[in-house]
Amino acid sequence: MATAENATFDSVDDLDDEQREAVKDLLLRLADDELVIAERYTEWQVRAPTLESDISLANIAQDELGHARLWYDVVETFGYDETDLIWERDADDFRHSTLVELPFEEGDWADAVVRSYLYDVAEDIQLRALEDSTYAPIRDRVGKVLGEEDYHLEFAESWLEHLAADDEGHEKLQSALDRLYPYALTLFEPSDEDIEETIVELGLRDEELVGMRDEWHDRVSSYLESIGLEVPGLDLPEQYDVHVSPDLLPEHVGRDGDHTDDWEALLDEMTHSYEELGRDYATHIMDDDE
Amino acid sequence: MSSEYERPERDEDDPMACGYTSYDTDGDVEYAEKESAENEVPATGKGAEGVERRVWEALYKVEDPEMPISIVDLGLIYGVEVDDDGTANVDMTLTYTGCPARDMLLNEVKQSVSAVDGVETAEITLVWSPGWTVEMVTEQGKESLREFGLSV
Repeated sequence: MATAENATFDSVDDLDDEQREAVKDLLLRLADDELVIAERYTEWQVRAPTLESDISLANIAQDELGHARLWYDVVETFGYDETDLIWERDADDFRHSTLVELPFEEGDWADAVVRSYLYDVAEDIQLRALEDSTYAPIRDRVGKVLGEEDYHLEFAESWLEHLAADDEGHEKLQSALDRLYPYALTLFEPSDEDIEETIVELGLRDEELVGMRDEWHDRVSSYLESIGLEVPGLDLPEQYDVHVSPDLLPEHVGRDGDHTDDWEALLDEMTHSYEELGRDYATHIMDDDE
Repeated sequence: MSSEYERPERDEDDPMACGYTSYDTDGDVEYAEKESAENEVPATGKGAEGVERRVWEALYKVEDPEMPISIVDLGLIYGVEVDDDGTANVDMTLTYTGCPARDMLLNEVKQSVSAVDGVETAEITLVWSPGWTVEMVTEQGKESLREFGLSV
């Protein structure tokens, strides 16, 4: 908890190296999640089931990009620029959860709906835990970001209820939930145990990951069960220092830099134009004759 | 009754974003005292003097890229301070974090403020707290937005 015992930090100049690493990690988790989920959402443009849902999801993507930019702005005060943070960063230096990088099951709108729901509940919980952050640049941005989040959940819930009302829709939701739930748990994985400890000790965030994960699980289960879906079980850890039963987590959690192959492909696609702009060779329209 | 600062002048024949709307920019509405908030934001430059006054005059001339309203009336400016060495510090916000016109608008503010007599350099700082809401629009600004067709 951020108590009187915690020092507060106005800017990067108030941080020593270890503290700086913790703030940076916390910011990259937030920023990278937003950037990557926005990039995936945009794949639905001109493909969503209705005109309204198409525009809504595009707008949600724009919101998330705006939030990513707010967090990256703070990381830039640590001496980085956009090139370092996005265009030329190695795939395994990104700190987002693997939930946001997975491709959608082809044409499966239920995947987009379930994923955005699981993500937005988690985001709400994470942002609220930052409202009293001891790092002023984080604290000062949370209110604006939260103010732009409310309708994301309304959108997801309205589609969940709509799809759950019919057998085929229900089946698709359940299948998306079964597939995505383990990946959603990675939202609450630490990037590194020591850094996570520092984040909490300094009061940068006033809840531990495990507490947020439990709150998230309670919220999503009670809602999803109310519309007739079955939520996979969560084995509560018996030992304090174990975050999640290891057999529930997917192979790659993302937070620690270990991503799925889909991330590398997505990053290549995202940075393709950037790479091409720096080209020093002529574009070949056709293969040369051998 | 006239307002303390001038807004951009409009020619009736100028093409406008909404062709059917007529715009009255005589500016005979006194902009409101901001009763909003903690920290006295947004700021409107009321009673400013000297170089700072000229900075405010320049800021009132900068318009939102999408709507016919000065960014000051829109409530984006949170503070102006000019140091003795001629550095003008402008704190401002944006209505929306995902604003696609962010760089354009910041650049325009920087250019306009830099060009003010007595200003050597302009430092523009984006701030997000308190977050902008429609309540921050001045009375004159609300009037402009209503004429533009928005319900505020």
